[in-house]
Amino acid sequence: MKIILSIIALILCHTSLFAQDVEWHKRLHAIPGVTVYGKRPLKEIGTQQTKFDSVVLKESVALSMADVLTFNSSIFVKNYGRATLSTVAFRGTSASHTQVTWNGMRINNPMLGMTDFSMIPSYFIDDASLLHGTSSVNETGGGMGGAVKLSTKPAQSDGFGVQYIQGLGSFRTFDEFLRLTYGDERWQVSTRAVFSTSPNDFEYRNHDKKENVYDEYMNIIDQYYPVERNRSGSFRDFHLLQEAYYNTGRGDRFGLNGWYINSNRELPMLTTDYGNATDFDNRQREETFRGILSWDHLGEQWKVATKAGYIHTWMAYDYKRDVGNGTMAHMTRSRSKIDTFYGQAEGEYYIGSDWLFTANLAVHQHIVQSEDKNIIRQDGNKAIVGYRKGRAELSGVLSAKWRPTDRFGISATLREEMYGTEWTPLIPALFVDGVLSRRGNITAKASLSRNYRFPTLNDLYFLPGGNPDLKKESGWTYDAGLSFAAGREGSYSLSGSASWFESYIHDWILWLPTVKGFFSPKNIKDVHAYGIEAKANLSVALTPEWHLSIDGNYSWTPSINEGEPTSEADRSVGKQLPYIPRHSANLTGRISWRSWSFLYKWCYYSERFTMSSNDLTLTGKLPKYFMSNITLEKALSFSWADISLKGTINNLFDEEYLSVLSRPMPGINFEFFIGITPKWSKK
Amino acid sequence: MIRFVRLLLFGGLLLATSCMKWEYGLVEEFDTSSSPEGLFICNEGNFQYGNATLSYYDPATKKVGNEVFYRANAMKLGDVCQSMVIRDGIGWVVVNNSHAIFAIDTRTFKEVGRIVNFTSPRYIHFISDTKAYVTQIWDNRIFIVNPKRYEITGYIEVPNMTMESGSTEQMVQWGKYLYVNCWSYQNRILKIDTETDTVVDELTVGIQPTSLVLDCNDKLWTITDGGYAGSPYGHEAPSLYRIDAESFTIEKQFRFEFGDAPSEVQLNGTGDRLYWLNDDVWEMDVTAECVPSEPFLPYNGTLYYGLTVSPYNGDVYVADAIDYVQQGKVYRYSKERELLDSFYVGIIPGAFCWK
Repeated sequence: MKIILSIIALILCHTSLFAQDVEWHKRLHAIPGVTVYGKRPLKEIGTQQTKFDSVVLKESVALSMADVLTFNSSIFVKNYGRATLSTVAFRGTSASHTQVTWNGMRINNPMLGMTDFSMIPSYFIDDASLLHGTSSVNETGGGMGGAVKLSTKPAQSDGFGVQYIQGLGSFRTFDEFLRLTYGDERWQVSTRAVFSTSPNDFEYRNHDKKENVYDEYMNIIDQYYPVERNRSGSFRDFHLLQEAYYNTGRGDRFGLNGWYINSNRELPMLTTDYGNATDFDNRQREETFRGILSWDHLGEQWKVATKAGYIHTWMAYDYKRDVGNGTMAHMTRSRSKIDTFYGQAEGEYYIGSDWLFTANLAVHQHIVQSEDKNIIRQDGNKAIVGYRKGRAELSGVLSAKWRPTDRFGISATLREEMYGTEWTPLIPALFVDGVLSRRGNITAKASLSRNYRFPTLNDLYFLPGGNPDLKKESGWTYDAGLSFAAGREGSYSLSGSASWFESYIHDWILWLPTVKGFFSPKNIKDVHAYGIEAKANLSVALTPEWHLSIDGNYSWTPSINEGEPTSEADRSVGKQLPYIPRHSANLTGRISWRSWSFLYKWCYYSERFTMSSNDLTLTGKLPKYFMSNITLEKALSFSWADISLKGTINNLFDEEYLSVLSRPMPGINFEFFIGITPKWSKK
Repeated sequence: MIRFVRLLLFGGLLLATSCMKWEYGLVEEFDTSSSPEGLFICNEGNFQYGNATLSYYDPATKKVGNEVFYRANAMKLGDVCQSMVIRDGIGWVVVNNSHAIFAIDTRTFKEVGRIVNFTSPRYIHFISDTKAYVTQIWDNRIFIVNPKRYEITGYIEVPNMTMESGSTEQMVQWGKYLYVNCWSYQNRILKIDTETDTVVDELTVGIQPTSLVLDCNDKLWTITDGGYAGSPYGHEAPSLYRIDAESFTIEKQFRFEFGDAPSEVQLNGTGDRLYWLNDDVWEMDVTAECVPSEPFLPYNGTLYYGLTVSPYNGDVYVADAIDYVQQGKVYRYSKERELLDSFYVGIIPGAFCWK
């Protein structure tokens, strides 16, 4: 199969069937000249940032942000299966050390601390950036690993616009994407909708179990590894995003963003599950609304902005089984409701072009209701195991940024946070950068910060097991690196960067089993994470019609437990944390010819340990894997519409792989998209 | 230029095709006929990660074999290995979140059959060669199985218990009656008539009785964990109960301190000495009128997770799950509290089974 696919791919190259989408085409034909590093915005002095432009975000509309990050960044995406929980972690930390903001509002689940990136369609994100380590302190607190900043932007449309994309994929996957836009001098209005469904019943060979063949006396006469379908993996996700922006033309802009999610997903059965799929129903449902009202005022030397937001999340987890008569009885019925009220005010003030002062104050008020289990009390009455809590979270930051010369910049930030009634000490962060050589724009940058992360509401109050005595995690982190950029306008551009980072996290919170049969969190570990992040980009106009671009990322992330041994038998001290790969890399190659474009994406994760002692066992083996996806696209332009046709092959070489133990992953699979942008609606 | 592009893509494809190969397990041959007093250790593994394992320890040679189920069968044992019993040379390994019970040859560790599609099995108890009971959590039924045919044949409905808060645990038999402790959000011991497969009586004890044994004097012993802070079911000081099997009444209640978390009541081979965990390892004569003031083995800074006593010589084995994400360690002590051996097993060693 691999050989055939390789031949097909080579034939595709040979026959020059390379494609492009309209946006990509525009980008390639305007290969940017080399940006002089010293002219970087004052706001970005010394920051380690990975930015994703709309080309990357819209490469495949069916992707979630988890997929985008997997193939285009150095951070680790832990994927529990197709259309299943996906979390991301920076620099050897955990998912709860990654803070996520959407248009400035923090969207980490306050109960769990993490964000499920499989629930964020890339179609809804216009601007995304990763703030690595220290750089996250400029955006939010608690990002011990870093922060993911997601934003939407006005569509910049003129008159009415419509875009509709229909996707059809393997495993009876149907994706619908619709965007309606309207714009004039003052108004920009956009409505986006995504609807995805699939039984998601991909086939895979189950290496974890064998099927038995019995004779009439119930003796096993044969065994084999079964080819199974992903059981209980269906999903139906609907997203709706409404935006409206009004620009007064006198420096004021008002914005409204509303994002509604309705998700109904089964939770796939483990590879080691011998239950009959039709006898069990294991399902998670979610309804979330996120809304933000914003006002920005731009002066000549200053800016003020305020935001008010609200998040409502309702989540249901139901685990049922057929009790024999077709009736599905609840084994677990869990419900949670989260209401978050958000407010933010910020200001920026420039003195000349050398100084920038910023201030930002954000408040999130969470009200949480968790119902985990229905029981019958000793007196015979019914009761619910759960908790109701509220917590106000206040975060304020002041910063001063100064660039005395074109070649040097320095920035200092002070952040203070309050969760409930507890305050952090002042969180300082310092950033510097300097151009070492104008030839090649070689620039050095470095940053240093302290940081804290408070326990989540589940950490503190979940029943059973919540531990109200938990301490907040604390840590120090610094990074230092070099970057370069070279190129010739209209011909090529080459850029790259490499940075060294080091972090210490104390009182790392871990959930551990107790002798009472439930889990409970404790401040257990001191972790030392360090390593290297590197990235490079090459864009070449090979001929006036041929354009090539290659992006690569690599990271080396030892993340070492440096805590005290829990007992004399503890062999975890000095070892890599489980599930964090030491090495990860990805590469994206794009080539276009006229209205064709071809995209090749590749990623690699080294073997992950599943034990804190780093013992390698037969049962806990999680081998390294490589993943390759290709996409071929053709753009057609008619007088009445622009049409794009796109075909994608995921897992090109039909790899059998695992991201997490016992979670089945799909082999080779196909997607086809047709997109229509009518022209009749233009003014 | 086209040549350059081709070269680049060809190189990329070569890079990508050098991919991982899935390693199938190799079947190993075992023969433990020479160790008739062997000990199986059920390593739960991490819930939802399918990394439960079975270890085998030969006390005579002090040799341990880990992952013996995987090595003998080239497949995983499953998710959360809860318990194991042996009957006529066949070991019945209950794998809770795999909804399965595997039958293995205790000499070779090879699978000889399996019963599947339980709700969430915890323990199996044999009534006869053709009938066994399987307790469940998250189900208000005890499953009846035919071990000869590897099939579920019926259910025992537990009164006043819903599916969601269902919990039946360990079983001991006295005559034709079977006693079962109900643990999670429960406070009862059930009495079941094994001829009619019905619950005929129940006895209320403290909150959440965790385990159950029957001593040499036909007395049942159970130990409660007392629930937890904030539980709507209640939170109280745990207790150790002595229950007369015949009259099915509580004879004696030994109270612990509020906040203690005792568990794992075990007996020695002659059924006259009782052991349990409560941070330390405790030992008591079954005729004692009060709990001893000094533990058998003092707390050593880690939470003990499993406990067993050799029916052959009274050696005490205690399991340390360490941080629950690495291989746990089992310590073997003599009756005289002398450390005889220690060995690493699998993740979260929780239950033992003597050959």
